[in-house]
Amino acid sequence: MSQVVEIGLWQLLLGLIFILIAQTASFVYHLGLSRDITVGTVRTFAQLFLMGYALTFIFRLNNLWITLGIFVVMAVSASFIVKGRVKERQIPYMLPTFLTMFVSYFVTALFVSGLIIGVAPWWEPRYFLPIGGMVIGNSMSALAIALERLFREMRQQKDLIETKLCLGANYREASSEMFKNAVTAGMIPSINAMMGVGLVFIPGMMSGQILAGADPLQAIRYQIVIMLMLVGSTAATSIIAVLVVRKRCFGKGEELLLSTAKQ
Amino acid sequence: MQPLLEIESLGFSYEKAVTPVFSKLDLLVNEGELVLIKGDSGTGKSTLLRLICRLQAYEEGRILFRSRPVESMVPAELRRSIIYVAQIPSITDASVKDNLLFPFSFTVNRGRTEPSDKRLLEMLEQFYLQDIGLHHQAMNLSVGQQQRVALMRALLLDPEILLLDEPTSALDARSASMVFTIIEHLNASQGKTILMVTHSNYLPNNAAPVTYMLENRKLRKA
Repeated sequence: MSQVVEIGLWQLLLGLIFILIAQTASFVYHLGLSRDITVGTVRTFAQLFLMGYALTFIFRLNNLWITLGIFVVMAVSASFIVKGRVKERQIPYMLPTFLTMFVSYFVTALFVSGLIIGVAPWWEPRYFLPIGGMVIGNSMSALAIALERLFREMRQQKDLIETKLCLGANYREASSEMFKNAVTAGMIPSINAMMGVGLVFIPGMMSGQILAGADPLQAIRYQIVIMLMLVGSTAATSIIAVLVVRKRCFGKGEELLLSTAKQ
Repeated sequence: MQPLLEIESLGFSYEKAVTPVFSKLDLLVNEGELVLIKGDSGTGKSTLLRLICRLQAYEEGRILFRSRPVESMVPAELRRSIIYVAQIPSITDASVKDNLLFPFSFTVNRGRTEPSDKRLLEMLEQFYLQDIGLHHQAMNLSVGQQQRVALMRALLLDPEILLLDEPTSALDARSASMVFTIIEHLNASQGKTILMVTHSNYLPNNAAPVTYMLENRKLRKA
């Protein structure tokens, strides 16, 4: 394969022309996005450079505990991002959500790096962290969608759930529709991604590998594994987390604890 | 008569700092009785029924069903024996028949035989719903008709106690009288134990054999 064409500092700065176009559009059409575009650009440079140096450092260290520590930080950050999106205050769902996310992501990343790709050792940061990052990033969005949908539907359908409870349903039977809808909503984006991949879009990871000089046929293999991994981890995380959180929506007498009043 | 439901010194408040809804409330419902509880809006009539079937948890006192604390029973088992019919019935977007029969799919009701279409049609007639077919869309029924479908649905499970929450409040006088006639008939001819709450003033204090007033967080005989 051909060598990677390196991007020099001046070439990198040349990329700012695209930002200039966006800024001009914002100015001409009074979009009021000027500040956001500037902040976004600075953050993109700062965050990615920081990450680049951090990854270089971590790859050099090649230490199991540091790799796992970073993985934990990524999972904790993801659970806080989920909390920010779901905005539920009545039901304590953070701990089970974090534990589900951590275990599910860890097992998936371990399976992919250790068994499918066959990296030795399985935790080699160059493989384990990017794979873990992709699992966490995608499943996190799915989980946020699923949990938000679960809470919303359970509140909207409170009368129906209570009617079913009153007619002898257990909490699982009374909320089966809401459970199903929540998990489906969480999984649809990753299933849709499988439908469109290669036709509608070229995934970022595969594009990155090709640009970096990898054989496209190898790049697609990686991408296929990643797509399958994302569907599996999304399904597992959404189902387990929604099952656990749904149980928490009911009290000891299987009474629905969610109130319909605005939180 | 056997005591079926006993409530002793019941205390409940929605929030700890707020004045309690009930304080040392007592009630005895015997088998085969029709008990009416009247009270103004906001006195906690619906809350009382919800506490009995554990749709809400109470903090003080005891609620016994056949001398067993309700908390010691599996919730689904309790709610198969004590069925609460809410003020505004929840009807699903399906046919009348589907609405009547969906509770038979629940684990706790699986041992029960689903009633035949003939039996359902007979019941519809008893509930003054003879003009409605089993395949009629339940969502298109009037509130009064939905109320009667919800009552039928509960009765098909043959509960030991029916808890009726303002079954006539959303109805016009004619429909209300129809529903009350059905309730009286269920009690008088089938011996069904019924605990009903209402704020309707059109029901006189002697409308039911046993009538209580819910006032100042307690019940008193009317």
